[in-house]
Amino acid sequence: MSGEAPVWEFAKGEPGFPTQLLDLGGDAPERLFGCGGVELIRDLALDRCVTIVGSRRASSYGLRVAEELGQLLAGAGLVVVSGMARGIDAAAHRGALAGGGETIAVLGGGPDVVYPVGERRLYAEILDSGAVISEAPPGRKPESWSFPVRNRIMAALAAMTVVVEAAQPSGSLITARQALDLSRELGAVPGPVTSRVSEGTNDLIVDGAVPVRGAQDVLDRLLGVGVSHARGVGPALEPELARVAALVERGSANCDAVAAAAAIAPADAAVALARLELLGYVCVDTDGRYGRTTLSPPDY
Amino acid sequence: MLAAARTFALLGVEAREVQVEVHVGPGLPAFSLVGLPDAAVRESRERVRAALVNSGFKFPQQRITANLAPADLRKAGPGFDLAIAAALLVASDQLSPERIERTALAGELALDGSIRPVAGTLAIAEAAGHCGFEAIAVPTANAPEAMLAANAKVIPLARLQELGSLGTDDEPRPPAEPAWSQNGSRPAVPDLADLRGQPFLAYALEVAAAGGHSVLVVGPPGAGKSLAARRLPSILPPLSRPEGLEVLRIASACGRASLIDSPATRPFRAPHHTVSTAGLVGGGSPPRAGEVTLAHRGVLFLDELGEFSREALEALRQPLEEGRVTIVRARHAIELPCRFMLVAASNPCPCGRGVESGECECQPASVRRYRAKLSGALADRIEIAISVGRPTAADMAAAAAVDSAGVRGRVIAARERQERRLGPGRCNGDMTLAELRDACRLQAAAKRMLADGHSRLKLSGRGHDRVLRLSRTIADLDGSGRVSEEHVARALTLRRRGFG
Repeated sequence: MSGEAPVWEFAKGEPGFPTQLLDLGGDAPERLFGCGGVELIRDLALDRCVTIVGSRRASSYGLRVAEELGQLLAGAGLVVVSGMARGIDAAAHRGALAGGGETIAVLGGGPDVVYPVGERRLYAEILDSGAVISEAPPGRKPESWSFPVRNRIMAALAAMTVVVEAAQPSGSLITARQALDLSRELGAVPGPVTSRVSEGTNDLIVDGAVPVRGAQDVLDRLLGVGVSHARGVGPALEPELARVAALVERGSANCDAVAAAAAIAPADAAVALARLELLGYVCVDTDGRYGRTTLSPPDY
Repeated sequence: MLAAARTFALLGVEAREVQVEVHVGPGLPAFSLVGLPDAAVRESRERVRAALVNSGFKFPQQRITANLAPADLRKAGPGFDLAIAAALLVASDQLSPERIERTALAGELALDGSIRPVAGTLAIAEAAGHCGFEAIAVPTANAPEAMLAANAKVIPLARLQELGSLGTDDEPRPPAEPAWSQNGSRPAVPDLADLRGQPFLAYALEVAAAGGHSVLVVGPPGAGKSLAARRLPSILPPLSRPEGLEVLRIASACGRASLIDSPATRPFRAPHHTVSTAGLVGGGSPPRAGEVTLAHRGVLFLDELGEFSREALEALRQPLEEGRVTIVRARHAIELPCRFMLVAASNPCPCGRGVESGECECQPASVRRYRAKLSGALADRIEIAISVGRPTAADMAAAAAVDSAGVRGRVIAARERQERRLGPGRCNGDMTLAELRDACRLQAAAKRMLADGHSRLKLSGRGHDRVLRLSRTIADLDGSGRVSEEHVARALTLRRRGFG
C-alpha cells in the first residue's frame, strides 16, 4: 500500500538531517526518508520535540490521556513524535492534529507504506500538517524486527519521551530504555495498580521516571517550571454539577453510584451526567463506565 | 359406500379446513390413506383400526380409501384420527350421517378408543366458527381453550363411542370458559422489588416498558442482568382480550397449553445462545413457530448476546422491523406474528471482566469480534443501552427502591398517553419518523441540548432519532406534553452508544 506523496531523503550528516540523531553514534541511520513537511524535519530542534508512545492494547483511560497530552503539548508549540501504531500512538497523533500542532510519525516500513493499513486516514492527515519519516527506503514493507529498531529514532528525536501505557514487557519500554541511554528525559503516566497496561509505566516511575499527570508536567520539565501553561479549562459549573463531577472523579462510574453518593434520584443523576458529558467534563469508556476528563472548571 | 367428515389442518398458527372422505367398497381388505399425509397421519390407520375395535365397533373387512382434501395441502400430526374414524363409521353404516353433518371434529385416538388432546385447538375452534360450523367436537382436555374462541359450540369428547351422541340430548355439555384473569388474580410473576442496588436499571426498564423500546444491558457476570430482564413482564400493561387470544392461539398451536390456565400473562422467552436460526425465528418442515413468535406480545430475552451466532442475530432483523415472520416454502408461505420487546444482555467482553478493568485477559481481536455482534444487525433496533456493575453487599441489604405495581401504574398511564396520540395498540417504539417529528415538540432548551449532543457527542442521524424517541417516552412517563431539557438529558444517558 503506497501513498502518492513525493519522498525526500537526507543522508547522515547532510544539512537538514536532524542533528540529534547523531547522538546515536554508530547506530544513527545512514539515510532518513520522509514524506510530507520536509521543512519540519529540516528545522527540527531537539527541545521542541516530545515523543509519546504506549501500548497498542490501550485502555480508554490511556487513549484519553494520550490524546489530551498530544493536543495540549502540540497546542503549546511542541512537535509530537510517535509511531502511528494503533492505540496510544494513534491517539497522540490525533490529539496533536486536533490541537492544531505539528506531529511526526516514525514508521517501521518505508515512509510511503501506510502501516497499520487501518490508519490510512490518520496517515493522510499527518502528511498534511506534519511529516512521516523512516530509515527504510520507499516501498519497503515493515517487518516485525523493524519496530524495535525504529524506536531508537523516536527516542533520539525528542528531548523527552513519555510512555502513556505499557504492559510488562512492551515495545514502549524499549523506547524508554533507549531514551535513558541517550540521556533524554523520560516520563511515564501513572495508572491504576490493578491495570496490566499500566504495570510498565508504574514500574518506570518507581525507577525514577518523571511522573506525568498531564501536559503541564511535560512542559515544566522541557521548558522550565511556569514558562508555559497547558490547561484545558471548561465552562463554569453549577454547584450541583460540580458535586457530581467530583463524585465521578472519585470513582462513581455509573448512574446508580452517583445517585447513591449524591443522595439524588437515579434519573436526576442521569440528567447531571448527560450535562457533564455535553460540557466535556466526563466521558464514557468502552465498558460503559463514566470517568472524568482532565478538563478543569475555571475556578479549580 | 361414501362418507365425509370435516376437520382442520394447522398451518403455522392458523387452521385450514380439511375434508376427510372415506370410501368403503368391495375388494381385498385394505386401508389406504391419500391426500399428502405425513408419517403421523399415515400411522393414523393403525390407531383408527385399533380404536374402532376396542370401542365395540366393527372394522370393515373391505377395501377402504381415505382421502384428505385439499390434496395439495401437506397434512401433519395426529389430529385427523377422529375425523377419519367418524367418516369410516358413517361409511360402514355404524353411525348416522346426521351426527357429524354440522360438526367439525378434531382429536387424536388412543388404541383403547379414548381421545387425546391435540395442538392448536383454539385456532381450530375459531376457524370452525368462521367456516360456519354449528359445533366443534374436541378432546376434553382441549375444551377450555376452545371455549375462548366463542363463535362455535364446543363439545368435549372423551371417548370414540360418544360420537353417537352428537346432536342428541345426550351430547356432552360444554365446560365453563376459563376465567380471564385480570390484575387482581394475576399469577405470581417475579417482582421488580427483588432488584437491589440498581435503581437506574429499574428506571431503564420502566422507560423501555413505557415506550416499547428494546434494551441492551451490559455488565459483568453477577450484576443482575437476567434477574432484571425476567422482571420486565411484571411491569408491562395487562394484555387486552384480543392480544391475549393472539398469545393463546400461538401457545395452543405450539402445544404449550399450560398457558391456558393463566390467560392475560405476557410470555417471557429466553432461548439459549446455541439456538439455531430456525429455532429463533421459525422454520423447518412443516414450518414451526420460533422463539420470536412464542414471545409475541411479551419479552424475548437474549442472554449473552455476543455468543449468539451472527446468522441468528441477522435473522432477527425482519421480525423486529415488521412484527411478523414470513416463512416461505415451495408450495406456500405462512406468516407468524411476533411483536415482542427485545431485552439483550451481554458481558463487556468475552472474559466478562471488562476491557477497562485492567484484569481483562481477552485478545483485542476477540473483543472486537464480540462487540461487533452488539453493534451489528441489531444495533439499529436497540434504543436503550445501560451498563451495570455488581451490586455491593450494602446494596443487597438495602430496602427495595421500587416495586412492580408502582412502576406498572406509571407504565400504563404513559402507554395510555401514547395510544391517545398514535391510536390503539401503538407505542413510541413503533412510531414512524413522521409521527416522531410530529409528536416531539421540544422546548427551546431541549432543542439546544439535542443540537449540542449532535455536535459534541457525535450523534449520528439515527442516534439523534433514537434520543428523540426516548425523550418522548420519558416525557410521557412524566405526564408531560412537551419534551423538556431534562427529558432529553435522561434520554442521552440511556441511549445506546457505540461499543468497541
